[in-house]
Amino acid sequence: MKKSTIKKVLGIMCSITVAASMLAGCGNDTTASAPAEDTAKEAEAEAPKEEAKTEDAAEEAPAPEEAEEIEVTLGIWPEDTLADDIAMHEGFVEKMKTMDPNVTYTPAYYKYATDTFMPMVESGNCPTVFESWFTEPQKLIATQSVSNITEELKAKGWLDSMNPSIKALLSDKDGNVYGIPRDGYALGLMLNVELFEEAGLVDESGYPIYPKTMDELAETAKTIKDKTGAAGLCLLAKDNAGGWHFSNIAWNFGATLCVDNGDGTYTSNLNSPEAIAAMEYVKSLKWDYDVLTADPTNEDWGTGFTQLGTGNAAMYIAANDAVNQPTQVNGLPVDKLAMCAIPEGPGGQFSLFGGTPYMFSKDATPAQITAALDYIEVMGKGPSTSDDAIAGIEADIQNKVDAGVPVIPRFPCWTDQAVVDAENKIIAEKGNVDTKMFQPYFDATSSEGLRSEEPGQTQDMYAELTKVMQSVITDKDADVTALMETANENYQKILDDTFGTK
Amino acid sequence: MKSKFKKRDMLGWLVMLPTLILFAFFVWEPLFENVRLSMFSAIRYELKEFVGFENYRRVLNNPDFAAAFKNTFSYTLWSLVIGFLVPIILGILISETVRFKSLFRVGIYFPNIIPGLATVWIWSFFFNPGKTGVLNIFLSKIGIDPQLWLTNPKWTIPLIIITLTWKSAGSTALIYMANISGISADLYEAATIDGAGIWKRIRHITLPSVFSLAKTLLILQVISVFQILYEPMVMTNGGPNNASISLMMLMYRYAFRDFNFPAGAALSVMICAVLIILSGIYMFATKKRDE
Repeated sequence: MKKSTIKKVLGIMCSITVAASMLAGCGNDTTASAPAEDTAKEAEAEAPKEEAKTEDAAEEAPAPEEAEEIEVTLGIWPEDTLADDIAMHEGFVEKMKTMDPNVTYTPAYYKYATDTFMPMVESGNCPTVFESWFTEPQKLIATQSVSNITEELKAKGWLDSMNPSIKALLSDKDGNVYGIPRDGYALGLMLNVELFEEAGLVDESGYPIYPKTMDELAETAKTIKDKTGAAGLCLLAKDNAGGWHFSNIAWNFGATLCVDNGDGTYTSNLNSPEAIAAMEYVKSLKWDYDVLTADPTNEDWGTGFTQLGTGNAAMYIAANDAVNQPTQVNGLPVDKLAMCAIPEGPGGQFSLFGGTPYMFSKDATPAQITAALDYIEVMGKGPSTSDDAIAGIEADIQNKVDAGVPVIPRFPCWTDQAVVDAENKIIAEKGNVDTKMFQPYFDATSSEGLRSEEPGQTQDMYAELTKVMQSVITDKDADVTALMETANENYQKILDDTFGTK
Repeated sequence: MKSKFKKRDMLGWLVMLPTLILFAFFVWEPLFENVRLSMFSAIRYELKEFVGFENYRRVLNNPDFAAAFKNTFSYTLWSLVIGFLVPIILGILISETVRFKSLFRVGIYFPNIIPGLATVWIWSFFFNPGKTGVLNIFLSKIGIDPQLWLTNPKWTIPLIIITLTWKSAGSTALIYMANISGISADLYEAATIDGAGIWKRIRHITLPSVFSLAKTLLILQVISVFQILYEPMVMTNGGPNNASISLMMLMYRYAFRDFNFPAGAALSVMICAVLIILSGIYMFATKKRDE
């Protein structure tokens, strides 16, 4: 009897211990905010960071002569496989140490993904500075997941140097700025020169004969398909990137896809004759010319570069800030990549432009934001011509040369002419490509044809357009007009639901 | 007598306490929070203000909702048509097999140990609509033109269900086999002595014996397939033109693409409600029949 009582008590104690230990694991340890891969050293450095976060701590700060310890976690650190890039960043950190020994820069590589971002923010593990996608800034601003850095930019004198259109993409409606551009970009057409050569589409100097109109684009793609067997064009239709690319094609057909009514409401215009003509053109690429890759509904931004870089497709709509993708990532020789503008259509020639942003944790203190901006300056990504910034640009360009990435001018995300000139000078000295391969692209994107994204709920618009693209690419008998009408109705419903009716 | 009962009762509760705490913390509280979240506006996960059924209205108003709702039922229906009988047949066939039984058992279970994402990738290569698609290569050998496979909206859902069945039929078949092995050998011997052949034995002994298990597995299959997510997400991303989008995919997009967690919560509550109703109808129907 006694024995069984002991057993019972022991059993209950064991159960309670198990439950207690499991619940203890769920506790919110406010001091442990370093990402999983960070080292013990970083954990030690967390305490001052947390102190810096609270206003009380700032008020109770000890003697003013004691410099504040600041820790900056760098989500923009290169991934583990990019050894050269890591070495370059280690050099930047060393330089920062000499500039301000009170700041600790901690690698915290983070590749932005929508499914990991919010849990990271909520758990306080967001790196001080991270790189996001072109689609994200407005969403991150609306969800208050990033810091307002207007004051810090003002203090550094960078605020007015930012390209106004890019600044608008990174600002809220009150004009507060939440990020800075890593690079600006404008959509163009990337060409696999090897396939152009194989198809005999090169001039006497060996430069690719690139398409200048939409008709030429289809004809060129057809020639390549017939002569090489590779797809002439890689068109995306898997996710919103399909609609994103299509919007640029539609502009060139004269379409405006969404109208800002000026009273806070918007009108969908996906069923305009121009937009329908553009979609008919997309349909013809599949069913009349048959120049697309095997399954465009399975092509996204990344696979597009794989198709281009590995010689499965000769042309791909892409931007200048991604020239490393077909080359460094997918093995296309650096001298076999060329770029031209997205061909002109009946409505003219336009290039969609924007900026790949650096954004800052909502929990970052002003001191941490400033320290992160200093780091970006040393990387040569800010509007600065200081010796350190120039050295950063040189290191970056040298690194690209070593890694087999084409070195071409950045799209001017900063308007400071001195910075642009300094960078172009270094590119002229160290450049590893024949600039004529990219001249048609830069000629077009420096003209009047630059256009930023459509207003409204742009991502939803892209989703609707992608669905239509999927239909016209997979169904020879698809009724383009009816599909665009449906897409227009759907998108208007979303606009009304979000912004109200006119 | 009364106090003795209470003491015993208390000990029982104490033993259950850890489980209750864990359930409350990891299951019931999140469920309750999810329902609460669905009725609030929010910034990230932080609740802002009570909005009643506004999130539900918005979800119902989403142009993709109707397609996702219809497709989810279509997935469930196709999974019953294609996937329900396969494990029963496999289970019976292997139970009747005399030689190489273990080999067949391992063979049918093998797809289960392949990670789910790898499975859908493998099948994606099979279903590639170009000339490089594995199935199209086979077809070209016998002179048939390449087919569209997953990009044909009419085939998309059945093909995804075939993938799903290929992956999971083996484990269900093992459950049926375990059930069949529990049937008394005397029954079969008696039937054999009475002159029953294999089909009669299956018809009159095996099938009635697995019937109650099949009923349970049926509702589990409906609940499971109704929540289909990663297969269409990876194989077709819901396309072409929403031909394979499911309710769970829509919920995933709300939560993890748009960061609209209240709408995601509202949709998940709706999915839960549909499943409760389906289970209720099923239970009512089978109970009535049993009676």
